[in-house]
Amino acid sequence: MARGGRAAMSTPAPASVYRSGEGLGLWEHRGKVAAVGIGHSPTARRWDGKPANSVGGISLAALRGAIEDSGVDPADVDGLVMDPTTTTGAFWPQGKPLPWDAINAYERTDDPLDGITRLSAEWMLKNMPELTGVQFTRYGMGCMSSAICVAAQAVGDGRTHTCLVLKSWHNLEGRYYQGGANAGNAIPGSSAIRSLWGTPACFGTAVQFAEYCRKYGKSHDMMAPFIENSRNNGLKFPEGYWAQHRPEEITPEDYKAARWIAKPANLFDNDMPIMVSAAYLFTTAERARQLKQKPVYILNHASSRTRPRSLTPTLDEVEEDTARTARKIYEGAGITAADLSFENMYDGFALFHQFHIEGLGYRGIKFGEALDFYQTDISIGGPNPVSPSGGNIGCGRSRFWMHTDCIQQIQRRASSRQVTGVKPEVAVSGGPMPLGGNFTVWSSTPG
Amino acid sequence: MILVSFDIDGTLEEGDPPGILTMDFVRQVKGEGLLVGSCSDRPISAQRALWARHGIDVDFAVSKHMLGEVKASFDAEVYYHIGDREDLDKRPAEQAGFRFLWPHEAVAMPWTKTGSVRP
Amino acid sequence: MKQGVDPDDLTRPFWEAANEGRLVIQYCADCDRLQHPPGRTCHACGSGDTLQWRQVSGRGRIYNYGVVHDCPIRLLQEDQPFNAAVVTLEEDPGIQMYSHLPGTPVDEVPVGEAVEVVFEATANGQKVPEWRVAGAQR
Repeated sequence: MARGGRAAMSTPAPASVYRSGEGLGLWEHRGKVAAVGIGHSPTARRWDGKPANSVGGISLAALRGAIEDSGVDPADVDGLVMDPTTTTGAFWPQGKPLPWDAINAYERTDDPLDGITRLSAEWMLKNMPELTGVQFTRYGMGCMSSAICVAAQAVGDGRTHTCLVLKSWHNLEGRYYQGGANAGNAIPGSSAIRSLWGTPACFGTAVQFAEYCRKYGKSHDMMAPFIENSRNNGLKFPEGYWAQHRPEEITPEDYKAARWIAKPANLFDNDMPIMVSAAYLFTTAERARQLKQKPVYILNHASSRTRPRSLTPTLDEVEEDTARTARKIYEGAGITAADLSFENMYDGFALFHQFHIEGLGYRGIKFGEALDFYQTDISIGGPNPVSPSGGNIGCGRSRFWMHTDCIQQIQRRASSRQVTGVKPEVAVSGGPMPLGGNFTVWSSTPG
Repeated sequence: MILVSFDIDGTLEEGDPPGILTMDFVRQVKGEGLLVGSCSDRPISAQRALWARHGIDVDFAVSKHMLGEVKASFDAEVYYHIGDREDLDKRPAEQAGFRFLWPHEAVAMPWTKTGSVRP
Repeated sequence: MKQGVDPDDLTRPFWEAANEGRLVIQYCADCDRLQHPPGRTCHACGSGDTLQWRQVSGRGRIYNYGVVHDCPIRLLQEDQPFNAAVVTLEEDPGIQMYSHLPGTPVDEVPVGEAVEVVFEATANGQKVPEWRVAGAQR
């Protein structure tokens, strides 16, 4: 197919791709799809205007990194699954001149901001002439967690045998979500029903956490060991923002002294928007065994599509759904909670990580017990690692550190972050929110 | 006595993003005998580490919302906070009883222990 | 001061009722079920033909709350910190509305207490349902 015309009509994956129902049994492709390559771009707090550091530029770096890491010939790549949205909350300001130097540094599509504040499969393929064999492209919307589900299913279904999976984020100048409609004097009626009260993004999680603390007799201070552990792990993640730019710990004292954003969510319960891109290379189990990296097999992917009854999920809704998600995860993978070597569920916001792991029943913990669990040894050196990636709290906002970490841990190439208190054999990662996430089970063996 | 609080990110050259105020400028203000410290969204331990790395012995390092506590802890005639954000520096500083300066205004100030300060 | 509201097709009945001092909530006649926020279709049965607007009592309870210290809305930043409560309706505790709880001191929110609707003008004069602790002085 001609260069540049290969993916002009790429579309979001249909809902049927995602395994969101209960009772689906073992995933039909359990152990037949594997991750064999990882590529990460450098991180930055914001775009500096240089073409190579644009969201398109860093995506090229990540994709080429994943190809090189896997040892695959670029011409053998026949699939690309990605998320076309790249915003961390920043949009190109209306009326601001377009960055033509950066735009014209690459092959363009019809949209000049493609590669700057959004990213199409068409743009990627126009700018990667070495990918001569791509015949399958699809969008997994929202974050890497959904793109992984789409890619794993596509490889399992035989729609692509060597598939790149990409997620990228851009961040521009200015404060998070402070412009646009939020700076105006009036807003449309439909959005006013939610946003008129000025609640920041973490508000829903904050009030769920408040309810959690009231119900189970816990306190915000009990989150301090989780935050400290996450940042410590993140500082051991060389691909992460904090490790690269500001190697700062967050001590329990730092955490407790931080200002509130929406009490009981404070500054360090929130992640920091950054520019970053990551790519993985997925292939069939058979092909994976011929490649240079140890294959990490996918045992299952599962999704939550539950909607809250009203404005924000109640604690009951959260707990029902995280338990339901866990049943789906375990059923499709043919495992139980006891099989998990470690967990890497999402953490951006930190105050919902406990919902994820209580739903999983990680190390046997039940609802209301995670904050007590955080007071025990949850480090990478102990028997019960929590968020060994460090997640968004430890590495900056990407929603993909946990996936990279699962692959690297199982391949035993997580460097100083490598878990040592457990054998890294089976792990789960995913998110973002407790209601409405996508999850993957990774394994050192096909099952 | 004059107390000067510095924001870090977007204000000091060591900030993320870097600001226009150099660490030498801070050292100079401190050298005049003024009370000097930082008030930032960075972890307090990271603020202290930053100052230690530059050999500046600050009088305080606090989180962004703690200027009121700084004012209560130090007896000064005038309290300044220098920062780069309307919502995160200027407004809370003024609410806490500090005079607020943008970094470019701070550069132009004659910083002495008892010297002229803007009314 | 809250931002003004420009009613749109979907939510116009809600805002018009607010200007008249009434609280109406979208209702599916087939499911006999309230829903909020409003949608083009019933979130339960998917029908778009059975949706109506139903007036409710304006009584509820404080289900939960947070305190906003760093608000993304410019017009509200002067009021920080402020309460942001989740109120549930007497007719159906599954239905939530947000509230600043006017008259309730910051971070002194009586979770579980009864509240009553009041109507407050926004920046462009459009009124919006707000909630006060029942019995509190206006």
